[in-house]
Amino acid sequence: MTTDSLILPIALPLLGALLTTALPRIAPLLGVIAATLTALSGLWLTGQVWGGDALNIVLGGWGLPLGIGVAADGLSASLLAMSSLVGLGISVYAVGYFAGSDRGLHFWPLWLLLWTALNGVFLAADLFNLYVMLELLGLSAAALGALTGSREAVAANLRYLLVGLLGSMSYLLGVALIYTAYGTLDISLLSERIEPSALAATSVVLMTAGLALKAALFPLHFWLPPAHANAPAPVSAALSALVVKAAFYLILRLWTDLFANITTTGAAFILGALGAGAILWGSWRALRAERLKLLAAYSTVAQIGYLFLFFPLLQAMPPGPARDDLFAACVLMAVTHGFAKAGFFLAAGLVQKNAGHDRIDELGGAAQSMPATTFSIALAGSALIGLPPSGSFIAKWVMMRGAFETGQWWWLIVIVTGTLLAAAYIFRVLSRAFGQEPTPRCFVTDARAEIPALLLALSSVALLGLAAGPIWSLLGFEGVQT
Amino acid sequence: MNRDLSLLIGILVALLAVLLLGVFHSTLALDPGQRLASLALERLPESGVSNPVTAVLLNYRAYDTLLELAVLLAALLGIWSLGPARPGFQPAGPALAAMVDWVVPLAILTGGYLLWVGGHAPGGAFQAGALLGAAGVILRLAGNAGAGLPSEAWQRWLIVLGAGVFSLIGLLLALTGYGFLSYPPGQAKWLILLIETAATIAIGVTLAAAYVGGRPQMAQPPRSPLAPMADPEAKR
Repeated sequence: MTTDSLILPIALPLLGALLTTALPRIAPLLGVIAATLTALSGLWLTGQVWGGDALNIVLGGWGLPLGIGVAADGLSASLLAMSSLVGLGISVYAVGYFAGSDRGLHFWPLWLLLWTALNGVFLAADLFNLYVMLELLGLSAAALGALTGSREAVAANLRYLLVGLLGSMSYLLGVALIYTAYGTLDISLLSERIEPSALAATSVVLMTAGLALKAALFPLHFWLPPAHANAPAPVSAALSALVVKAAFYLILRLWTDLFANITTTGAAFILGALGAGAILWGSWRALRAERLKLLAAYSTVAQIGYLFLFFPLLQAMPPGPARDDLFAACVLMAVTHGFAKAGFFLAAGLVQKNAGHDRIDELGGAAQSMPATTFSIALAGSALIGLPPSGSFIAKWVMMRGAFETGQWWWLIVIVTGTLLAAAYIFRVLSRAFGQEPTPRCFVTDARAEIPALLLALSSVALLGLAAGPIWSLLGFEGVQT
Repeated sequence: MNRDLSLLIGILVALLAVLLLGVFHSTLALDPGQRLASLALERLPESGVSNPVTAVLLNYRAYDTLLELAVLLAALLGIWSLGPARPGFQPAGPALAAMVDWVVPLAILTGGYLLWVGGHAPGGAFQAGALLGAAGVILRLAGNAGAGLPSEAWQRWLIVLGAGVFSLIGLLLALTGYGFLSYPPGQAKWLILLIETAATIAIGVTLAAAYVGGRPQMAQPPRSPLAPMADPEAKR
């Protein structure tokens, strides 16, 4: 029964999506119930992985290789915990955000389908099943992104859909090659059979390229800023915090699990170099952005870059505690960004709703009249910069130590520059909040919408920074070595 | 776009295609080893159906198929979120209308046949659903703005029917101790038939509704949900 519960974080949001489709009148109520149950099942599963070891099940009772495997190890469980908590926050926020609007009707089923696909990606152990999950993820994400119905939103998300399809096709081509050569789709079976060859190399390139397109790795990020900046706030949060992470998770999974003995230092260096480009370009564009949500979207491009910087370090580091630290730091970085960016976008959505626009230069009064929201932006911002005690501070610390230890000092310049640029673009927003406007007496002005944003931002700083140890134990590593 | 640039891109894409073909050719030349097809055929008698394609779709890899149904649902919900449907075409002339009277019931009948035959020969829920969808397309082309579909409330239940029945059966099996989507021995055939029937209706309605191309209009007079497609006569 414990292994059967692996399916719950996928089946519960799916059932929720079906019910909210069929009963649109009570969709918000059903949606929140489904979101709560989904989050609980995800956290329960994380607890199981934490307490014992990896869980896995082959659906249909056919065994491998005929059936489809579903599995949860430390890496999956960490991201599942992120999607559970962030997803719950987004759901609670969405109830207020879409209240009395027709768009909420469309939001709930699509959002729950998106969540199904996210959890499905994190738990899948089968390459083709991952393709199906990616399709569901891409389709529901593009539909959600276009919910505002504005021309820019529809155009940006149509592009997102097409780009996502291209990425999926490239991934599928890689899967087809692997299946032709090795006759199975299960990741654990494949990782035993796979060996270096032209075919394996082609598959790695095809699958990584397809997924990098979905993860918006520089210079394939062109679709992200307009798509994320024009979506409704809860959707932007889900897209930026969770959806790009699914593609990144898959690349990490493939490189460290399936293709561990095929990837080379050169290939990892290319990923790292693209990541460095993403950090510099994304941060620069974020600094120059005129709108708050566009700033957040470019900041996502930059933060994805940090995640890819781990690949050359992981590749160069010999197995041992130092590599474990790096791996855990990579996961910590991804999870921290998930919380921080979700909090940032939710808060930005409140500012936009209150001010009627999100042009940074004119935000003064609006930001000042909402202390809790501005505080959320500041908290999330400090996690995006990597200030202590946020989770990304620890992650960057471990990353810089890794760069020293493996003699790849050049990444340090990128990290430092990116961090300075991040500080610049965050403080550019915050400086608007210190005008001469009268400040309201009450800290929280709209509890239902502000508290999820505040809690998410706070988690990225306090929960993941001061208590990063659980990530290490979840991944099965010895304590923090910083 | 600049002509030279598009030429350059064309050449690069062609080179990439040649490279991929080369790799694919070398893969095919390899000894394939044991792939899954022989294993799937070997265990076919246990799967409850004798058509290997149906066995893969509804039994060995039923989980994938469940999610494919969710993908279809997501596509339709995406279409609905973009706004109301355009008004349909004007009513068909007598010749077309007479043909529609023949073709639509025939398509539905053939759909039912394909659903049943899927157990032992090419056919199944997706083919049958496609025929139902085609019947809806024909109806809309002939002037039925709603493609013969029932009211929005009914459509909403019908489009979730496939994934709903599928996942509920899966969860019930998990609760009764067999495991998610693991059919008990001997019960596979009728469970698969049940899932496929629900999926056929859901796929047919989804495809027809997708062709209508927008959220069903509220103003439409509610029609009897029991004979949504089979009765174009009533419309004229």
